[in-house]
Amino acid sequence: MASVKNCNLPDDLYYNVENNVWARKEADGAVTVGMTAYACALAGEVVAYTPKKVGRAIDLNKSCATVESGKWVGPVKAPVAGEVIAINDAVTAKPGTINKDPYGEGWLIKLKPSNWDAESEALVTGAAVAKEFEAKMNADGFAGC
Amino acid sequence: MLPTWRLIDTGTRRAAENFALNRAILEARKRGMTPSTLRFLQFGPSALLGYHQSAEQELDLDYCRANGIEVQRRITGGGAIYMDESVLGWELYLGKSDLGTPDMAAISQRVCETAARGVSAFGVRASYRPRTDIEVDGRKIAGTGGAFDGAALLYQGTLLLDFDIERMLRCLRLPAEMLSPQAIEGARARVVNLGELLGVVPPLEKIKRRIADEFAETLGVSFEPGELSPLEARLFREALAEIDSPEWVEMVRKPRGGLPVVEAIHRFAGGTLRAAAAYDRAGGRIRQVCFSGDFFVNPPRAVADLEAALRDCAIEDVPAAVARFFQGRPIEMPGLAPADFAVAVTRAAQAA
Repeated sequence: MASVKNCNLPDDLYYNVENNVWARKEADGAVTVGMTAYACALAGEVVAYTPKKVGRAIDLNKSCATVESGKWVGPVKAPVAGEVIAINDAVTAKPGTINKDPYGEGWLIKLKPSNWDAESEALVTGAAVAKEFEAKMNADGFAGC
Repeated sequence: MLPTWRLIDTGTRRAAENFALNRAILEARKRGMTPSTLRFLQFGPSALLGYHQSAEQELDLDYCRANGIEVQRRITGGGAIYMDESVLGWELYLGKSDLGTPDMAAISQRVCETAARGVSAFGVRASYRPRTDIEVDGRKIAGTGGAFDGAALLYQGTLLLDFDIERMLRCLRLPAEMLSPQAIEGARARVVNLGELLGVVPPLEKIKRRIADEFAETLGVSFEPGELSPLEARLFREALAEIDSPEWVEMVRKPRGGLPVVEAIHRFAGGTLRAAAAYDRAGGRIRQVCFSGDFFVNPPRAVADLEAALRDCAIEDVPAAVARFFQGRPIEMPGLAPADFAVAVTRAAQAA
């Protein structure tokens, strides 16, 4: 587990640092997608979540869900392309779960990836995670989670 | 030389057009194809949902239809509001780095404080009230909300010029007792118009200039009047095709019963305290709460400030949020303890 400025960033996940999202390849081939702890800290408590519908094809870096916090609305961008195969009803009922457990129960969607091998190459994982997020946080002027 | 930003004024338009412009300018700003922009706008009579809201839950659709009130969905967050020409709309389209902080709450605060200074230039004392309001002596004069996409953001606000909140209450889906004369008076006491504060509404051009001057000074930029670019005009047409449709307005549908208006009366040593709340049952969250009763609180604005602090609060967090609110504030309320407010809200939610 990497931690940068007090934000947890598990280094076994795959990140699009710019879009502040993570992806995890599951044993069954699905890819779970969520917001990073850093994204949660910037947003504040999430009060609404609208995922794209199951069956919908999502292009790389296009919106896979919309979240709202503190009257701000914005998209969460898919770190890899694929078809939506699951959405998180527990998060629909309690969107604040995203803040409480961004890498666990607060996941946003599961995709059947269309090109994981190639697209995950462009994502950041392992030892590079801490360095890349630290650079982003510094560029953003972020004090800490 | 100061950076030059664009100032556009799109006048009074249908809500669908105003929101299609939101989408178009934000998209163009995201692509880096348009400068940061301050836009002034107004609406014909319209009931406007927050992005995640459901018309069935929030609005009296029969009333809206019968009164020619356009129903639309914003691309920004927050609650349902009524707008017409008695309200001035203002919006900023920025790069995320323009305000020097990535923190969304801090961006809201910075923009609201600036707009409040613009309003204060008329000789009233307008201030930012967390999280997204501008108030004068505890009465709300402006509400705000935002949307972001990639490296661009849109932050929009209102300014009440000569607004009658009764019109807004009638558009919203409220139980009959919340439309009683006393309840409407109570709601009127919680908002205030610029016209009411000054005795007359200043000329619109003057109000716009003051707000623009304040943003220019705070942000260290100068504004140059401009028009929509050809790209924005094309994006506008595309967005309008999506937004000016029943599918967009009905995008979120939730059962009416999911957002009951609940209430409880809590008796304390010195009288009664009534809490009426819109309660999001599935989410376990107080959407909005309104306190009334025969209690004395000084300063009186503390009640409206507490209501603002409890907006969108998870029910289990209410006692802590109430305690946090009262901490360090010199508020007199004989016979009434902070915990009484938490008890009243919690009981109201339990009644759901």
